[in-house]
Amino acid sequence: MSKESREHLSCLMDGEINRETGRFLVRRLGADRELRKTWARYHLLRDCLRHQEGELVADDLCGKVQQALAGEALQIAPRRFSTAWLKPVAGVAVAASVALMAVIAVGPGQNPASTLPGEVAGSPQAEAFVSPQNILLRSPRAQQASVMGGRGASQKMNSYLLRHYQVTGSTGGKGFVSYIPIVVTQASPEPDEQDRAEEDKATESQDHGSDSTQQ
Amino acid sequence: MKPRFETCCLATILLAMASPACAGSNSDAAQWLERMSAAMSQMTYQGTFVYVQGDDVETMRITHVADEEGVRERLVSISGVRREILRDSKGVRWVKGDDLSVMEDKALSRSFFPEIPLGQSDQASASYRLELGSSERIAGHSGRMLRIIPKDEFRYGYNLWLEEPSALLLKWELLDSNHERLAKLMFTDIRLGSEVDLDELESSSKLKEYQTTASGLPSGKGLSHSNPQWQPSQLPTGFRLTSHRYMGHQDQQIFEHLVYSDGLAAISVYVESTNVDENQPETGISRLGTTHAFSRVSEGVLITVVGDVPAITVQSIGNTVQRTSP
Repeated sequence: MSKESREHLSCLMDGEINRETGRFLVRRLGADRELRKTWARYHLLRDCLRHQEGELVADDLCGKVQQALAGEALQIAPRRFSTAWLKPVAGVAVAASVALMAVIAVGPGQNPASTLPGEVAGSPQAEAFVSPQNILLRSPRAQQASVMGGRGASQKMNSYLLRHYQVTGSTGGKGFVSYIPIVVTQASPEPDEQDRAEEDKATESQDHGSDSTQQ
Repeated sequence: MKPRFETCCLATILLAMASPACAGSNSDAAQWLERMSAAMSQMTYQGTFVYVQGDDVETMRITHVADEEGVRERLVSISGVRREILRDSKGVRWVKGDDLSVMEDKALSRSFFPEIPLGQSDQASASYRLELGSSERIAGHSGRMLRIIPKDEFRYGYNLWLEEPSALLLKWELLDSNHERLAKLMFTDIRLGSEVDLDELESSSKLKEYQTTASGLPSGKGLSHSNPQWQPSQLPTGFRLTSHRYMGHQDQQIFEHLVYSDGLAAISVYVESTNVDENQPETGISRLGTTHAFSRVSEGVLITVVGDVPAITVQSIGNTVQRTSP
């Protein structure tokens, strides 16, 4: 992979890439497995360097990532670990490929009480969020976003989707437009078996020692 | 000549009455939005449209009939793998040609549909800014542009082109909060009323050869609970509870479905007892086109939030869902 490609990836993480190059890179991420792996490694590296509470990554995994990156001429200025990269994430992610979604999507395991303070259990009126950025900043770690509706999708999720569209698509509003996502053939590539195995391994390593709220 | 002159006058008056949005004010835009909502459900129409998302382009056909038999609808992809949605008074069927299967969800009682119809302009105007644009010719019809601009990043924006004077949707663009286009739909031909071919309501797939599966979600009458047993403690501004259904008893399997809407976008919150024997959705974020879902497990229940909203919205709401009573 060229030095230029790595620099572009780094800029994309920071939200400092121009729109045209960004679009090109997102398309490449959808098709270039090597680029996707590098993209994932950069995020792991960032997590290792940040070492923030709630973004736990096993030490041995950090070591492996750092070893893997040792031979790469990656120049990341400290400013690149600012929160600036989060800003384009909310906007660009939806239009991007699954590969990009895999990075911006945020995993489960957050404790609502610690994430969004305020004792409101039992309150009939929900409070309003202040800012989406505040919530993103508190997200513990990135996780692979799966694609719903495909062959491998769970029956449960497909049932939820269909019920949701029946309830919300039948009472005016967008009408049939609501149903389009489940009629469109999902052309986004799903990771192959090897990618999936590597992702599972990385997830297991991350989960080891993490304080998940799942029960 | 006289009858023709009178006819022209009458047509002009009717057209003026049916087209209140000539001045372009916010209230006019809101009226267009409400009329679109009515037209989409109450008119009979049929057409072919192109749907574009990213680099993917799909051609689809919609047949929507509203008559004495109620609403019947068929949406089918005519490029790529054949997928269909068949909707009538019995419920919804999702036909998937790629694995020769049909998923069926039985019709729900009217009481479960949102009490506040989606597309309610007064509610939507709290979360969006509405602007009327100029007219454009689409599929042989004149379409008036309506911009719906979100006031925050928790919802998508829309550019709509609505047929004059009926307000039926001709063209649709979905935008993120940075006004970047996420998806686009545009009719290439559209027929109205008696021009519609009713035969197209029938599926062209050999459904008898397909494996039909029920959605498995409760569709009967739910128990009455004055307040939800589980609900989000925080919501993006403008989202309100529009319908709620609870099935189950305390200490037994439960299924709770809440629908929240800001007048345009809607999200469903499902809370269901976990079952180890069942194939559960993956936890975390998942995506289907522009629809996002977020799932997590807490206190023995699976919490899933689904909606045609940005990922941050389903995740944020999902993380605050908690039990409201001990």
